[in-house]
Parts: sequence; C-alpha cells; structure tokens
Amino acid sequence: MAIITISRGSYSNGKKVAEKVAERLGYKCISRDILLDASKRFQIPEVKLIRAIHDAPSILDRFKHGKYIFVAYIRSALASRAAGDNIVYHGLAGHFLLTGVPHVLKVRIIADMANRVESEMQRENISAGDARLLLEKDDHERRKWSKALYGVDPWKSSLYDLIIHIHKLTVSDAVDFICQAALKEQFKTTESGRQKMEDLALACQVKAALVDSFFDIRVTSEYGNVLIYTKDSYGQSSKLKKMLIKIESELKGINNLEVHVGVTIPQNAI
Amino acid sequence: MPIIIISSDSYKTGREISKKIAEATGYDYVDREILDTVTKKFNFQEGQLIKALEETPSLFGLSGRLRNRLLACIEEATVEKLLKDNVVCHGLAAHLYVLDVSHVIKVRVLSDPDKLVSRLSSEAGGPADKIKISLKSNVKKHKRWSLDAFGLDETDPSNYDMVMNLSQIDLDEATKNIAGMTVYRKFQPITYSTNCLKNKNLASRARVVLMEQFPDVKVKADGSTIVVEAKIKKRSKQKIAGMIKKLAGGINGVDYVEVHAVSDFRSGKGDLNR
Repeated sequence: MAIITISRGSYSNGKKVAEKVAERLGYKCISRDILLDASKRFQIPEVKLIRAIHDAPSILDRFKHGKYIFVAYIRSALASRAAGDNIVYHGLAGHFLLTGVPHVLKVRIIADMANRVESEMQRENISAGDARLLLEKDDHERRKWSKALYGVDPWKSSLYDLIIHIHKLTVSDAVDFICQAALKEQFKTTESGRQKMEDLALACQVKAALVDSFFDIRVTSEYGNVLIYTKDSYGQSSKLKKMLIKIESELKGINNLEVHVGVTIPQNAI
Repeated sequence: MPIIIISSDSYKTGREISKKIAEATGYDYVDREILDTVTKKFNFQEGQLIKALEETPSLFGLSGRLRNRLLACIEEATVEKLLKDNVVCHGLAAHLYVLDVSHVIKVRVLSDPDKLVSRLSSEAGGPADKIKISLKSNVKKHKRWSLDAFGLDETDPSNYDMVMNLSQIDLDEATKNIAGMTVYRKFQPITYSTNCLKNKNLASRARVVLMEQFPDVKVKADGSTIVVEAKIKKRSKQKIAGMIKKLAGGINGVDYVEVHAVSDFRSGKGDLNR
C-alpha cells in the first residue's frame, strides 16, 4: 500500500484525479481535513492556516515566523495521518511535507492555461484577461510560498515521480497511470518504510510542540530516538528543558530524547 | 498510429528508453543516426550538427545563423521521418519543433541522478561529485539552449503529455506505460493532425532552401500554399519577394507562395514563428 501526494494548480483537475484514485484504490482522500486537524489540535483558526499554506510569507511574517510555525502544525497533522498509510493527499506541498519516505508516490497534475482560464471565467463570471491574471497570481503565490519556505520551486519536474498533463490525456487516463504506479513494488509499504514514516510523524509532533517558542529548532527521529538540534543560546534554556520533559511524558513512541547544541544539522532534519 | 517523441535530461537514458519503446511497440526508431543523411545532403560535418543540437552560439563556437541553418536541416530530415508514422524519435529536439500535432505523444524522462552518476563514473572515471556538478550544469545549459534556439523551455512539463522520473519508477515500467499510450484515442492520427505534420514538412523543406540566401526567413505552410516572412528593406522589397517566390515555387509540393516583408520578427513560441 502507498501514500500518494498530488500537487496541483487551481483548475487543473487535480482534485478530481485525487478523488477518483482514492475511490479506485480504496484509500482515504484528504486535503482540507489536514487543516481541520491542525486547527483543532493547535487551536489555530483554520483561516490562518489556509493563509499560511497559500500565500507566500511577507516580510512581517518572516520576522514573526508565523508561517513557519503554522506549516510545522500542518506538517505534523499530515504526517500523523500519513503514518496510517493508504492515503491520497491533494493539498499543497505534500511532496515537501513527506520527504524521505520511500513509499510516497509524488504526482503533479498540470493543465493547459487556456482550459484553466475558461474554468475560472465560468466560475467567477469574469473576462478572459482577468481570469488569466488571477490564475497567474495564484500560481505565482504558490511558487513563492514553496521557494520562501523550502527554497525549492514546486514546478521543478525532478520533485515528482510522475507529472501528467491533462489535455490530450484525460482525468481517467491520469487515474489509470497513478493507480498502476501506486501498486508497484517500489511504492509498497515495507517495514523500513513504515518505520521512516512513523519517525517522520514523531519528529513532526516534537517540532510542532516546540516551534511556537523555538521556531528554528530542528528535529530528527530514528527508531523513536529523537534528536533536537538547537542554537547555542537555546541549549541551556530552562524553558526548553521543561518543555522536553512534558513532550517525553505526553508523546507516545519516544525511546530517547537528546538535545544537540551547535552541531551540523543533518539534511533530513525537519 | 501515433508518433512518440522522447526528451530526457540525459542522452543515454533517453536513448535507452526510446529503443525499448520502439522494441515494445514495433515502431521505427529515429535518433542521431539520421544526421549522417543530413551531412551527406547538405555537406555539413556531423560534429557541427551535434554542436547545433547541444550548444548555444558563441564567439568561439557556432554563429547564430549557422546554428539556425543546421537546426533547420535537422528539422527537415526529422519531420520527413516522422511523416511515416509509427516512429519513436529521440535526440533530435523534435519535442521543440513538432508542436500542435495531436497524434504526437511527447514524454520527458528524468534519469535517476544517483544511478546516472555511478554509471558515468564507472564508464568514464572521475569523482562522482564532479560528475554530479557537470550533470547539473548540463541541464541548465540545455535549458538555455532550448530557449535560445526555439523559444521554449524544454524543462517545462507543460510542453509534454507526461514527465516520468526514473528515480522510483523503473525503466521497464516506464517503457510499458509509454508504449501503452499509443492505443489512446486522442493520440490516433486524424486527417487534420496528419495534414498539420505534412504542412510542417513542406514548411521545413522550403525553409531549408530559402535559408541559404535568406538566413532569417520564417515559413508556414497550408496545403500547397506557403507563407514566407522575411526581413526585407523597403526599397528592395519587390526584387527580394520575386527571388523568394522563384526559389520557393520550385519546391516540390508548392503551388502558391506569399511573401510578407517584416522589419523585425516578434519573438514567439515554437514552430509558428519559425
């Protein structure tokens, strides 16, 4: 069984593809549910999370680190859901949020600008020029968001296993391709893959618990051994120590928790 | 039956998968072997043609005009081959000039960078880090080349029907999927799409002939009519237009020639303006 992330632009039919793939494979299809989970768990209004995952961080946001905090919450909610396996996620940035997990099939669905403009015109009852402007602005915001938070352009082909252009290929063709790929050996959940996903979910939970007070803290987990990477200044903080004691007692699955101060942060740390 | 055009970030990977697709479908395989025909027909060296397919014009390399002429000759030979249908084409940049032909399946295949680096390192030797850096720079170089030569970014997925990454999907699986696309209804040749390709063929033949004397010429074809756009000064308009009409009129399949004099070409995408 696999985890499928579908990245899409507005009016690209990606939602339709995701729903049909989930239906055919009997997987859960999630998107907005993640925001609701995060909203409940961290008591943040959903609208703030939507803005965090949609608009690129402004200079003020970057100063307050608001978006980084909200994204950590969203990532934690998604990783917890994904740890249960068999999901199709078609929200923003699934391919970023679930990095390092081998059984994630990363798909991007794109569509012709002309078709997207037509859909936008019909929905908003606006002219073709206005529709195009809106779509371009939306695309620009999404790209800026990814670049600002992760330093990666979401339009880069190498981020995905499969990019399907809905034009000559139909929604149903796309569903066929994705389902065939998802059932292949390399996307089946192995024991080590499951462990990696659980570790990612655990690291995300620890980060989400700390990020409000220590926004630039980084976390890794391997077989439940959680390593926290901090700057020199945080290392001896009594607030951090107290929070870690609380996390260790509240979160399930932690074998050991260590704080590393001022060392090189591994690439897979979140 | 459809035509399959494969583009890849690595020539070797593209060639490997294209050959496999040709085997699986029973289609003809068209690759840089046809450059031999081009060299004989137009009296160029094969090295020049490969340079034109890989490098942007530079002071010590090819001039812009020569590069354009070489590419036009390659385009003519490639489109001629594609006219036969049932073809898998790779390595000739056809994804950048065969546009708006509905029975052409365009797929970009991205190689697994780790596997490619280890393969190149064992074949050619040298440290893996250096090979990795050189591969990255090659992708950037080729993107610049495609923009410069055809006004299209070959790394942009919207120029393809599908992009497949071989990091997780294996070669045989990708081959099977691409070969399977040939039975899709939307990729079957219809009269209109076949005519589009025929027009492309006539336009590319005319362009090659005209470019010898008018290097900046652009040609469109519709049936047996061709429309030529050329940079012509006002005072010599009539004379040059006459020369173009005479030259193009002698091409097999051309019945009527229309000449448009332009002061400057507007930049645009792909073959409509070529």
